[in-house]
Formats: sequence, C-alpha cells, structure tokens
Amino acid sequence: MSMTTRAIAARRQALDTTRTIPDGGRTLQGTILSVSTVVLALALWELVARQMHSVYVPSVTQIAVTFYHEWFSPTFKEQAVPSLWRMACGYLIAGFCGVTLGVIIGYFRFMFRLLDPVLQYLRATPPTAIIPVGILLLGIGDLMKILVIAFGAFWPILINSADGARLVPRERLDTARIFGLTQMETLRRVVIPSALPQIAAGLRTGLAIAFILIVVSEMIGSTNGLGYYILQAQRTFAIPEMYGGVVLLAILGFLLNSLFVFGESKVLGWHYGQTARTR
Amino acid sequence: MARQKLLQINVPGISFAIGCIILFEIAARAGWLTSYVPPPSVIFAALFQGLIDGEISSQIGATLQAYFIGLGLATCLAVLLGILMGTYRPVFDAFKMIVEFMRPVPSVAMIPLAILFLGLGAQMRVAVITYAAFWPLLISTLYGVRGIDPLALDVARNFGIQGAEALWRVTLPSALTGIMTGFRVSATIALVVTVTTELVAGNSGIGFYISQMEQANRLPPMYAAIILTGILGFLLNAIFFQLDRRIVFWTPAAQDKPA
Repeated sequence: MSMTTRAIAARRQALDTTRTIPDGGRTLQGTILSVSTVVLALALWELVARQMHSVYVPSVTQIAVTFYHEWFSPTFKEQAVPSLWRMACGYLIAGFCGVTLGVIIGYFRFMFRLLDPVLQYLRATPPTAIIPVGILLLGIGDLMKILVIAFGAFWPILINSADGARLVPRERLDTARIFGLTQMETLRRVVIPSALPQIAAGLRTGLAIAFILIVVSEMIGSTNGLGYYILQAQRTFAIPEMYGGVVLLAILGFLLNSLFVFGESKVLGWHYGQTARTR
Repeated sequence: MARQKLLQINVPGISFAIGCIILFEIAARAGWLTSYVPPPSVIFAALFQGLIDGEISSQIGATLQAYFIGLGLATCLAVLLGILMGTYRPVFDAFKMIVEFMRPVPSVAMIPLAILFLGLGAQMRVAVITYAAFWPLLISTLYGVRGIDPLALDVARNFGIQGAEALWRVTLPSALTGIMTGFRVSATIALVVTVTTELVAGNSGIGFYISQMEQANRLPPMYAAIILTGILGFLLNAIFFQLDRRIVFWTPAAQDKPA
C-alpha cells in the first residue's frame, strides 16, 4: 500500500465512527474499573433522586420497576413490535436498492459523474425534513414510515456502495481483464467483494439513520410505536414510563448494532484478516 | 489556475440535475403528479420570496445559532474526554462501559427528556444537538490518539516534554486528523438533529417553519424550506471540507475527495 492509499484508508476508518471503540486489549483490572464506574453512577443517581424527591428525576429502582411492568407485558407487542417491523421493512428496502444501485453507479464511471451533484445534494438534506412531505402524501400509516425510513437510509448506503465500487484497486481490475472475465463476472467476482467493507460501513450508517427516523416519524405522526410512546409519556407526565422507553430504545440500539457488528465480522472476517497482515 | 478550476466543473452532472428539475416542472404542470407537489418554479419562487421578505431567512439565524453552539460544545467536550481517555488507561477503563451504553441511544430519544428539563426553547435544542454530535467526535478522537506514533511521544519525553505539555504539543496535533474527520461527521449529524428537534418540538428555526407550513397547508413555502435545509447542509459540508483541508493540510488524505 502506498503512503497515500494508506492515509486514505486510515481516514475512511476514522470516518466510520459507528464501529466499536478502539480497545487496547482487556485486563481484569480494567473490567472491574468499568463495571464499578457504572455501578457508582447508578448508585449516585439513586441517592440524588431519593434526596431530591423531584417528579422529573425518578430513582433508578423506580425506573427499573416501571420498565419491567411496561415492557414485559403486552405493551411490548403494542408499541415496540410495530416500530421494529416498520424499521425492518424500510431498512431492507433501502439496503437492497442502495447496494444494487450504488455498485452499478460506482462501477460505471460516467454514471457516477452524471449523478454526483444530485446525490451530493440529496445526501446533504436532513432526512427527517421529508417526514412532513411523507405525511402529506401518504398519511400517518405504516407505509409513510416505511418509505421515509427507506428514503433516509438509502443515501448513505448508496453513496458508500458507489464509493466502494469506484475505488477498487486498479491492479485487481487489470488482473480480471487479463484472465478474460466478462463485465458481469468482473462485477460479481471482483468489484463487489472489493467494495464489501465500504458497503458494510454504509449499511451501518444506514441502520443508525433508520433508527433515528423511526423514532422521529412516530413522534410526529403516529398512534403507536416507541417514538409515540415516549413523547406521549412526557406529555402526560408519566415520567418513569418515559425513562423506561428511553432505556428500551438504548437497549434496542445496542442490540441492533451488536448484531450488525457480529454479522459483519462473520462476513468480512477475511478482509480484516488481510488488512491486518499488510499493516 | 482559473482555467483548471473551470475544467473541473462537472458539466454532465449539473446538466443532469437541471434536466431533472425541468422534467419535474413539466410533470407537475401537466398534472401527472398529485396536487400535493407544486412545480419547482413555484417552490423556488416561494423560496426567493421567503428569503427576501424575511419569513424564511429569519428562521435560518435561529437554526444556525443552535447548530453552532451545540456543535462547538460537543467538540470541546469530546476532544477533551477523547484525549484523556486515549492517553490514560484508567480513564479509558472507567468511561468505556458508559460510553458503550450511551452511544447507541438514538439522540432523538433524548428530545422528550430534554423538553422535561429545559422546556421548548433553544437550550433544549442545544442540549440534544450537543449530545448527538458528541459521540462521533469522541470515537474519532480516540482513534486519533491511539494512532499516534509512539516514537513521537518518546522523542518528546527525551526533550523533557511531559504531562499536560505533551498532551498539548504532541498528542493534540497528532490526533488532529482524526478529530477533524469526526468533526465533519458530527457536523452532518448536528444539522439533522437541529432540524429534527425543531420539527418535533421547537418554537423557532427552519424545522419549526416546515411543520407550521405543513399544518397551515401552505405547501410552496414548506417545500422551499425543505430545499433550503439541503442547501444549508451542502454549504456547511463544503465549508467544513475546506476547513479540514486547511487545518490538517499535511496529510496526503487532505487531497481526498469530499467523503
């Protein structure tokens, strides 16, 4: 790897901030310290909350009890399942369209150049700003939310896939040509595997955006779902329920991201092994 | 030089964009679309009008103010914590788990919480923006600090530069590339979150204006404001890209295309 490509690769890596935090090896001492800070923070909260007696700051135990009652009950099916279902639909549409179109756009240079200004602009538009348009055109049903999520998550996936396909190392393409691969074969056997890490990065960003969009679209126009639930809880001063909802969102976000990272390490293990060796 | 710049203009790309707008115009005028989608000429006229008579332009100020305060606060806090976490192992261990748990919380989930404590004003928005912009900056600062050449720190130590001075003179400049990349990611996220909080629960700003126009069924200004958010995002992105290149001018990657 030349100096420049390495620097660009390093920069790409730094750009991809949805990854796990760099961990310089775990030690027992370190783990004990991590856990004890969390415990300490929770204990401090409990203590302060009990002292304050404020409606706004319920104690940790109170939140935990409410959390248990709310989410280990049919409420989970009524509020969380619809959110997850909409998100899954929107995200899958965005993922499928984004990767397919992205690889094609990136592979054919003139298409990339043609679409570049439009893509740059659409990517710069905050995806939540189109929710009012969605409501206007499609009402406040499931379809609106699914399409809004698909639209928002589509751009990062598309652009990352296109970048990945566009920046395939020259020598790999040349090798493919020497071996007489047709264009379709080159696309399938060289371009897509080379672009996979970048595609994965786009998919991860898309996931984070889909998560934001489901919450916001439910806050603005919905009659159920997690976003609706926590905003409604705040408006009706059901404060422990509101905190419980935020905690559930945190847990779901954590699980989804972990699941993604796990899947990625399965699919892309070969790639990271390779880059580690060249380093 | 000027000639070279002229040659860099993406003529087919821009023509394609203009072509799309014209096609849209024809489709809307011919009535192929629903009445909920006005033709682009009407939208652009509304945008121009709103910018001149101050109806839209007065909202830009409120949006940008919350945006820059939130982003600035997040930058200071994240860089400080990132450098400390990256340099001192115990600090890293102490905060690691909290960071891992807090980071995946979608920032918008914090909106109700922020409303509870700070009301509907600009303070609430700044708090949510700061929260959202904090995480990417923290992570990329950490990467930046971790990527420092150990030799640089050893050399500094040989010259008697240690402690806070080493942080300031070796760690911070070395981590600057990482910090700047994180800053650009955060800058994008911050704009999304600014518009979102205004949309959900604001009392001023472009997002607030969009939701008001939607409720008043005044569609051209609503679309105009949405287009404006895109223009704003595009401009901010371009400005920060240039800033990035000027600040960390020494990296070869500074010549990289806008990511």
